[in-house]
Amino acid sequence: MGYIFDSTSAVDQGADPDGKKENFYADDYAKPVVADEYRSVYVYEAPIRLWHWVNVCAVITLMITGYLIGVPLPSANGEASEWFVMGYIRYAHFAAGYVFAVGILVRFWWGAVGNRFARQVFYLPIWSRRWTSELAYQLRWQTFLERKPLRYLGHNPLAHVAMTALFLYPALFMIATGFAMYSEAAGRDSWQHAIFYWVIDIWGNTIDVHLWHRMGMWTIACFVIVHVYAAVREDIMSGQSVIGVMFNGERLFKRKF
Amino acid sequence: MGDATFYDLFRRQGISRRSILKFCGLTAASLGLPPAAAAQIAQALETKPRIPVLWLHGLECTCCSESFIRSGHPLVKDVVLSMISLDYDDTIMAAAGHQAEAIIEEIVETYKGRYIVAVEGNPPLANDGMYCIVGGKPFVERLRYACRDAQAVIAWGSCASNGCVQAARPNPTQATPVHKVITDKPIVKVPGCPPIAEVMTGVISYILTFERLPELDRQGRPMMFYSQRIHDKCYRRAHFDAGQYVEKWDDENARKGFCLYKMGCKGPTTYNACSTVGWNDGISFPIKSGHGCIGCSEEGFWDKGPFYSRLTQVAGFGIEANADTIGRTAATGALAVAAVHGGLSAVKRLRDTRQRDKDEQG
Amino acid sequence: MTITTPNGFTLDPSGKRVVIDPVTRIEGHLRLEVNVDSANVIRNAVSVGTMWRGLEMILKDRDPRDAWAFTQRICGVCTGTHALTSVRAVEAALGIPIPENANTIRNIMQATLYTHDHLVHFYHLHALDWVDVLSALKADPNATSALARSLSSWPLSSPGYFKDLQLRLTRFVESGQLGPFKNGYWGHPAYKLPPEANLMAVAHYLEALTFQKEIVKIHTVFGGKNPHPNWLVGGVPSAINVDSVGAVGAVNMERLDLVSSIIDRAIEFIEQVYIPDLLAVASFYKDWAQWGGGLAGRNLLCYGDFPEKANDYGADNLAFPRGAIIDGNLNEIHQVSLDDPDQIREFVTHSWYKYPDEGKGLHPYDGITEPNFVLGPATEGKKTDIRRIDEGAKYSYLKAPRWRGHAMEVGPLARWVMGYAQGRPDYKEPTDAVLKKLGVPVGALFSTLGRTAARGLECQWSAHKLKGYFNKLMATLKAGDFATANADKWEPASWPRAARGSGFSEAPRGALGHWVQIADGRIANYQCVVPTTWNGSPRDPQGNIGAYEAALLGTPMADPSRPLEILRTIHSFDPCLACSTHIMGPDGQEKAVVRVL
Repeated sequence: MGYIFDSTSAVDQGADPDGKKENFYADDYAKPVVADEYRSVYVYEAPIRLWHWVNVCAVITLMITGYLIGVPLPSANGEASEWFVMGYIRYAHFAAGYVFAVGILVRFWWGAVGNRFARQVFYLPIWSRRWTSELAYQLRWQTFLERKPLRYLGHNPLAHVAMTALFLYPALFMIATGFAMYSEAAGRDSWQHAIFYWVIDIWGNTIDVHLWHRMGMWTIACFVIVHVYAAVREDIMSGQSVIGVMFNGERLFKRKF
Repeated sequence: MGDATFYDLFRRQGISRRSILKFCGLTAASLGLPPAAAAQIAQALETKPRIPVLWLHGLECTCCSESFIRSGHPLVKDVVLSMISLDYDDTIMAAAGHQAEAIIEEIVETYKGRYIVAVEGNPPLANDGMYCIVGGKPFVERLRYACRDAQAVIAWGSCASNGCVQAARPNPTQATPVHKVITDKPIVKVPGCPPIAEVMTGVISYILTFERLPELDRQGRPMMFYSQRIHDKCYRRAHFDAGQYVEKWDDENARKGFCLYKMGCKGPTTYNACSTVGWNDGISFPIKSGHGCIGCSEEGFWDKGPFYSRLTQVAGFGIEANADTIGRTAATGALAVAAVHGGLSAVKRLRDTRQRDKDEQG
Repeated sequence: MTITTPNGFTLDPSGKRVVIDPVTRIEGHLRLEVNVDSANVIRNAVSVGTMWRGLEMILKDRDPRDAWAFTQRICGVCTGTHALTSVRAVEAALGIPIPENANTIRNIMQATLYTHDHLVHFYHLHALDWVDVLSALKADPNATSALARSLSSWPLSSPGYFKDLQLRLTRFVESGQLGPFKNGYWGHPAYKLPPEANLMAVAHYLEALTFQKEIVKIHTVFGGKNPHPNWLVGGVPSAINVDSVGAVGAVNMERLDLVSSIIDRAIEFIEQVYIPDLLAVASFYKDWAQWGGGLAGRNLLCYGDFPEKANDYGADNLAFPRGAIIDGNLNEIHQVSLDDPDQIREFVTHSWYKYPDEGKGLHPYDGITEPNFVLGPATEGKKTDIRRIDEGAKYSYLKAPRWRGHAMEVGPLARWVMGYAQGRPDYKEPTDAVLKKLGVPVGALFSTLGRTAARGLECQWSAHKLKGYFNKLMATLKAGDFATANADKWEPASWPRAARGSGFSEAPRGALGHWVQIADGRIANYQCVVPTTWNGSPRDPQGNIGAYEAALLGTPMADPSRPLEILRTIHSFDPCLACSTHIMGPDGQEKAVVRVL
């Protein structure tokens, strides 16, 4: 059993790269034994997991419909009143947008009331030397310069960066720009206009908001690729469960690793 | 006689009171005002002298003046003879040279705070302003002087409002919109390249009638004409929602009047009255005549092209680079990195496992 | 201290200097300085273009399919003609043929511009040079009515009509707020019309102001708006559908009927109002057949326009003549080519631009423009307050284009003389009729009056051409050809990696050329040489003066402080300064570096 880090703790516990120490300082979360070769820690509570999968559906819907709004399908024939292709695509986009936005709100709320793993993605402890050194370690692990990974209860520092900078911040940007554009159709007396229209004034010309909204989409698309790949890889390579944890909330650690 | 009212002038010109009231009714209707406003307009005409207007030209193409004279209601001859006193306008005024110059001074001195400056075009600030010289001096100097005691400033067209074509990248003359030079006066921006004629005269009618500037949006444009997108009121909107587009110029769909979205129409991102007021007495507007909107009333629209693409070309990313090409490249790159990294990881894992097996055996 | 220029004009800058800045009732910004002798006759003239926008620099790296929109914003008065020239240049570079209907509709657009632009020029930019608005107050409405009826059958000619108008005018003048007529040169001794003619002209000034907005509706039908209608590389954007589903969404029968009715009304207005007015005014100003000629009797240049069949830009297929006349020899019409590097060249010795070797001119494909605003040592005032320009040094934002080294005049007069010299009946017959009516010889064409008359004749010509092109469009539609655009080479992937081409047109003010170089789907270089650059050009290295400067020489002024005579001649050219002062060639700048090394 290697040393398991609690990446949500502000206290610098010091790394144990040789991995000999049997210290398991997150014992308070640890269930004794799942099977002989595993120890398991309950990390992600149900609302987080539920949010994650709802969010997955919303993001996929948003990306597909969003792409088709920018690059529409081949034209339909017949009378316009018989068809509502773009209308439904946009409807699905807006519906998924609401789900996505409400989801982010719920996530913020759970960040406030949930366990400390629920809070991790909302900030990057770039001032922590331990965190930055472990980030460097993680980068070395990913570039095959370290033999063994460090293992964490929450997100490892590199995953943490991805979650925050490639998902959370872009997600907030997408919500702001998305609702700003939505407010143009919703009208000047809408709440969307009241809350979000200022976003359009940042650029002056709303076509720029469309441009950056699309750039945001591609940023999140890149995140999805990296996220799915890294989850599968780390699940296999780093002796801990990364995929399963989003189903049952339990982080499993291989004893022999 | 300097204080003769519109009403006096109309009456003396042999126009009956009945006709005047009819004119007021039409004006109210064209501005989308309730019938009661007609009486207010009539009252206004009966009691006000004509306000002097100094119409200055900077770096421009005169399309705003040309558009202005296209106004069908009110007719521009009535605007000039009976509504305002267009004392200075390079394009149509009889006087030239110092006789023309003298007018600006006279109006600024005589009508302190009671005249309007209308600006067509914009001042270039590079080369000490000497890319636009009027009377031997930089245009920007004359603009500042004329605006000094103005009651309000009207920024005609996209040049004065946003900079327009001469301010497009790389803006070699440092052409600068009016609001960045005149900062202490209320400015009404009437963007468009050019603005619609009746929108121009409508703004003037409104100011004269209600003795106040129209309600402006956050960018300084009159709400009455610039608060909705062309797309929101486009008669081809049904085809947009249906998913029916012109796929190629002059195809079957073009002849059926399908939506021009795929041809790069900027209607969805352009605030203007084209799809409602229409152009040249409402005869048509760009989309109705088969060409997408190029977004000419929007800030910096020249740099949001190409005009025939839905997505803006992104500067600094090479030829034909828009959000999708950049995004696709980035996503493909991410996939490629994942694939390579995945392969290397598999190799590493295989070696690690073998090593462990060996260790265990050993 | 007189100077004789190589092109045969004598300049004497010793007399009193008169400065007119701004010159009004033009497009853009122009300054004129003249010297008059003791008899107040103009002996030296200096034409100063006073604005620069750098549009060609802005065009670099853009999509060539967008170039029409940028170049169209060069000028909102001759709106469309730059766009037309631009799509022609791009089509020439990329080898894109256009459908017959597209060519016809473009001709309709261009003829509409001519009809509108010349009418507006005569009444709203030029008429106040000849018509004394205040004198109209003294007219007898009955006599005015009799005069109007003796000239044409235009229905708005009753005594009551003129009386009402006079009343309105009187009250307007009495208000003390003269608006655009403020500080005009009213009562100037050079005004020769009797009060009745003045009143009639003022009536038509206002009627024309109201009517002109009708003509441009043809642009609105095919281009969606005016000013600045929409164009398309490969054809025209307005699809035509007259007899099947969805016709209401395209150019249909109702739209075509609208166009047809506007054309008829335009012909009526021009023939019953404009032409009679022109002849009536001209008959009082026959002395202006001796002044203002300048280069007109010597060097004239036309590119031609209005291809009768699509995709053939050869001189024989053009309704407007192409050619050059040198030294007044009407018997020899020189061939003109935009692509021949020896023909069109631009010089900057007296322009606010920099060349590595300023003694040489550059063909537009190799054009360089680097602004270089410097004033000569004899300038009075300072950089930001110029009181007298030094024409010995650089003095204008206009370059000096030359055709085989000659300063040329372009415009309606050039076209009309060219057509006349080529013996084309549609030019010769109306010209001879006007000359006969006014009782002046052919030589009278080479003057301020001739220029103004040629514009009127051209306006009438273009209105009839408009009708002809409309009929041609209908005939093609009847034959079942509805194509308006060729999208085969729309996608940049179908283009050659590098291409270049030139496009030409005749703008209302004269010969207009665009030169484009395309590399990897983007504009590598773009140059325009426009009519007012020809006419308003400063001197070249040899000292040849341009058309404006030449035309002003020898004109007597009644009162140099009220420069009505100068305005008459300059307005007869219909200056467009925003057009002429925007040249910039970044491609050429690299060449400059090579040469320096």
